[in-house]
Amino acid sequence: MGRSRHVWAAPGQAFLGLSVLLATAALSGCGGGGTAVGDSGTAGDGGVVVPRFFPAPRLPEGESLAAERIELGRHLFYDKRLSGNGTQACGSCHHQDKAFTDGLPVAIGATGERHPRNAQALGNVVYNATLTWANPSLVTLEKQMETPLFGEDPVEMGVNDRNRDEVLARIRGDARYPAMFAQVFPGGAEAIDWRNIIAAIASFQRSLIAGNSRYDRFLRGEAVLAPNEERGRLLFFGERAECFHCHGSFNFNDQVVHAASRVVETPFHNTGLYNIDGAGGFPEPNRGVFELTALPQDMGAFRAPSLRNVEVTGPYMHDGTIATLEDVLSFYAAGGRLITAGPHAGDGRTNPFKSDLIALIDLSPEEQADIVAFLKTLTDHEFLENPKHADPFLPQP
Amino acid sequence: MDHHEITNRFALPLLSASAMALLSACGGGGGSAEPAPPEPRAVSIQFAGVAGTAPVSCAQPLAALGSGALQSELKDFRFYVSEVSLKRADGIFVPLAMSVDEWQHERGVALIDLEDDSGSCAGRGTAAMNASIRGTVPGGEYVGVRLTVGVPSAVNHSDTAASAAPLDVQAMAWSWQAGRKFAKIEIAPAGGVTRPANPDTTPPTPETGSAIFNMHLGSTGCTGNPASGEIVSCAASNRLELEFDAFNVDTQQVLVDLQPLFLTANTGVDLGGAFGCMSGKTDPECAAIFAALGLDLASGQTVSGGRYQSVFRIGAR
Repeated sequence: MGRSRHVWAAPGQAFLGLSVLLATAALSGCGGGGTAVGDSGTAGDGGVVVPRFFPAPRLPEGESLAAERIELGRHLFYDKRLSGNGTQACGSCHHQDKAFTDGLPVAIGATGERHPRNAQALGNVVYNATLTWANPSLVTLEKQMETPLFGEDPVEMGVNDRNRDEVLARIRGDARYPAMFAQVFPGGAEAIDWRNIIAAIASFQRSLIAGNSRYDRFLRGEAVLAPNEERGRLLFFGERAECFHCHGSFNFNDQVVHAASRVVETPFHNTGLYNIDGAGGFPEPNRGVFELTALPQDMGAFRAPSLRNVEVTGPYMHDGTIATLEDVLSFYAAGGRLITAGPHAGDGRTNPFKSDLIALIDLSPEEQADIVAFLKTLTDHEFLENPKHADPFLPQP
Repeated sequence: MDHHEITNRFALPLLSASAMALLSACGGGGGSAEPAPPEPRAVSIQFAGVAGTAPVSCAQPLAALGSGALQSELKDFRFYVSEVSLKRADGIFVPLAMSVDEWQHERGVALIDLEDDSGSCAGRGTAAMNASIRGTVPGGEYVGVRLTVGVPSAVNHSDTAASAAPLDVQAMAWSWQAGRKFAKIEIAPAGGVTRPANPDTTPPTPETGSAIFNMHLGSTGCTGNPASGEIVSCAASNRLELEFDAFNVDTQQVLVDLQPLFLTANTGVDLGGAFGCMSGKTDPECAAIFAALGLDLASGQTVSGGRYQSVFRIGAR
């Protein structure tokens, strides 16, 4: 108890601490069969352990990821009182069983306003170099969180100058939060402030490690892939389908930051989804990084999301306009999307700002199906059901 | 809470505590080698919103504004001011040592708040107002003023929810740009702001649009460093540097005139981007607004030291 509560103390020490822990975890067999994700196997210890083929995460100074801090963050993440009108929590748009997406094309905020974009998955979010679909300036979970909490356009959780003291009073007046905060933050009752609320939720988010899919077990030699899955794997990592160019990291994306990162690249890509004006245009207000930079080459440029758990994160793309994985594959096989009629008509395949990596790749329907089969091996069912990530306000089974 | 209380609070202590700090910290501000710095004096730089010659408030309709001369109402009127200095007769600019309170941050950033959440502004802002910047300068005669509408980059990207006042005002946060709105001036033109039917949104937007024509000024095109978690730079600063050669701090004030701000903007129509102008380089409505502010929309720089802006001017108190 308490021996390894602070699994990640500082980035510099993380590797050592982790390897010790991982060894311990493997030996004690927590979770069975050498599972490297989950708790460290010590009773009462909520420490976070990552698979051995994941790098040590980069943590902000002072971040300990202590079990109590994660637990506090979990409660706040799922607490609807944290929205202006008390109707939505972070968890309202980030459902665990959908890898913390919401199953909708675009998210809907506490006041009913439609978000222009699709809710993001949160698995392994600790490794994300930038946090949203297309914003090079949001590089910390803490900073990013101000947008859903306080944003006005669109309103998500709807906290503003008029209600933020009231929202804070709800948390301060709760029966259990004062003690939970006191365990984690100094300062007594005053510790319940926005800075600490945001910090605790960020800690919970950093604990959301998804790395025990069947594919991960395959990498460890503990599982085999079916023939179609293996064909899909070879296509995925091959030079014909080229999926790996943007989804090739351990986290199946191309924007990764970790403890040992020195220079971090943050590429954004136009995949040819739209071409509404024949000049490469994407529909407002979803023009990608262009919305921030106004640089022509940033038109339609969005971040490649992690494909871990992609089986359960549909609908797909930044605006949720592709319903199924099968449709995603046929979209990429065609090298973009031709929209023949309606308000968004245009040939995305000829979008002048389209990434060089998106070309007509002539994948047969069988090959596309094989890649989909492979992608489904990336689902970490343990992650989707882990009670440590679950809504504490739901009646316990 | 209200601004009378704050004004009173600062009338007296200014000459005591702040004076000592100023003597040691800012003695060399003028760059001269005077042996004994003069006694500091308290100054208050006043601001007022006008539309032409008429005062602007939430209580009464505004004069006709915009290229369509539309009867309008005020909805919001707040802006941050920093880098304030007064000009001595010998041409030297002397930094103002800003006092610290709920309107003025220790890093020398003041929030000017000309709305009171009543009348046409009801439900949008805060009841408290602040129409002045208070601080001290070394004793002496001053003939001009220099200031920047904006928040210095060193504090612009701080976490709003965890910042000291007035950088904690959520309405002035600009989370998607990872910074703050330097200015938030919003009007409601009669008939609203109509956007032609736009099929290029999800879902397609029919004609109509917004009740409000927004003017949000702030740094854009910002990039963070994922390895350090910091904002590295913004492509367009959009800080408005102002300099007035003739300004009597005791008898005059800085007027912010909404008439020239919206003069060539068709406030009844929005042709794209945000409703009104939110500093977007390709937002059709920003061309007119930025021209009035004397800001180059492409570079985000003040044009010729603010000489070409038409919105801020000096007037009698």
